[in-house]
Amino acid sequence: MSHQNDSCHTRVWLYGGLCGAFVSAGALALTFVVSSGQAAIVGETRTVEIKKAADPTVDQMKAAYMRPAMIPFPKDNPYTAEKADLGKKLYFDTRLSAANAQSCASCHNPGFGWGDGLAKGVGHGMKMLGRRSPTIVNAAYGQIFMWDGRAGSLEEQAVGPIKAEVEMNLPLAELMGRLKSIPEYVALFKAAFPKDGITEDNLARAIATYERTVVSGIAPFDAWIEGNDTAIPEPAKRGFAVFNTKAACAACHSGWNFTDDSFHDIGLDTDDVGRVKIVPGVLKMEKAFKTPGLREIARRGPYMHNGSLQTLEEVVEHYDRGGVDRPSRSEAIKPLGLTAQEKSDLVAFMTALTSQSDPVPVPVLPR
Amino acid sequence: MKLVKIAAAMAFLAGGTLALAAEKTIGQKGKLFSEKEVSIKKGDTLVFVNDDNIAHNVMSSTAGNTFNLGSQAPGKSTPVTFDKPGDIQVICAIHPSMKMLVKVAN
Repeated sequence: MSHQNDSCHTRVWLYGGLCGAFVSAGALALTFVVSSGQAAIVGETRTVEIKKAADPTVDQMKAAYMRPAMIPFPKDNPYTAEKADLGKKLYFDTRLSAANAQSCASCHNPGFGWGDGLAKGVGHGMKMLGRRSPTIVNAAYGQIFMWDGRAGSLEEQAVGPIKAEVEMNLPLAELMGRLKSIPEYVALFKAAFPKDGITEDNLARAIATYERTVVSGIAPFDAWIEGNDTAIPEPAKRGFAVFNTKAACAACHSGWNFTDDSFHDIGLDTDDVGRVKIVPGVLKMEKAFKTPGLREIARRGPYMHNGSLQTLEEVVEHYDRGGVDRPSRSEAIKPLGLTAQEKSDLVAFMTALTSQSDPVPVPVLPR
Repeated sequence: MKLVKIAAAMAFLAGGTLALAAEKTIGQKGKLFSEKEVSIKKGDTLVFVNDDNIAHNVMSSTAGNTFNLGSQAPGKSTPVTFDKPGDIQVICAIHPSMKMLVKVAN
């Protein structure tokens, strides 16, 4: 059965009472539903013929990686300069933590590609956290946030670490009091949110607005995509082809930000249950984590959700081996049989995704 | 719960009444369901076909119509019959941006 021929048609199943007529499989089939319960009824899985698309040309592959022209801001939290300016001050302000010692920038530091350069983050009381601090680069383009996807919006993500006991450990109600005691913050909130000033929601809106302005710079890869054929070296061009074909990295690291915003067990040796804590009972979500984007990747090591791989070369070796073979492992992860040159070409390609970022000025904070 | 296919003659002998149930195919190409929203009747079937080039995990946690197809490889097709009325959110567990609403009427 070809899906292409079937998808636009509604077929009819006849239930009983057909005066003894015998109708065989095809456009008409006889089916008798016997029971009912609390679940939908799943039938037998069959193999169907799917028309295989022709292999894309290099130009077709390149078209999938064009930088977007605009930063997307949500309708319920549109950009304003006042919000972004306030959000930047909040982002860099250590008074957003119980100990007055940590800001968002402590773990998401522009100097480390908006991460912290550590295998695992450091939280309240200088205690090591369970996972690596993800970058906030290109968060504006994200669909779901945190390694396990427990935050559905950037606004939700922005305040999560502030109130998490193991991270910044500051209840938002207490933070509201702190902010209201700082006259310059009162004025800045009033300018950004004339209707209600300092509120927990407005705190989230301001930080998220600033985070959305943090977009990766133009990398050599972008210039190549735009048509400058000498912008990246030949190994990087070959690596791009391997990335999209033999290694199939693009099955998950897709689009201009190189992520599908989805969750996969990539076979790492880890005790962390990952996404399944958020969606219990789904086998494929065991040890599954969100696909990280690859922009600015060369300055964002160590790698993986637990920082267990130190270099991009180690990352490529992991994927080439295929990791631990277990039921939850993604079907996309399997031994690749890459040659030494293909591995080094992949690293050359990923290196070309890193821009020459300008220094980020730290704001003068309200007193 | 089980789905039993029988011949028409047996159905006739059992004294069943004539009813019509529709079946509609839902594709998953490009990490998208081919329909964002579909309206069906109780007892109708949606056939989830993985016509993409990667595995998907179609499921629903909506009470009364829960199901989980598990990892469905490209080229596989699985029917799901909905026999409880209501609005059902269907997702791919792997790719959360894949969402569709199934409206099941009595």
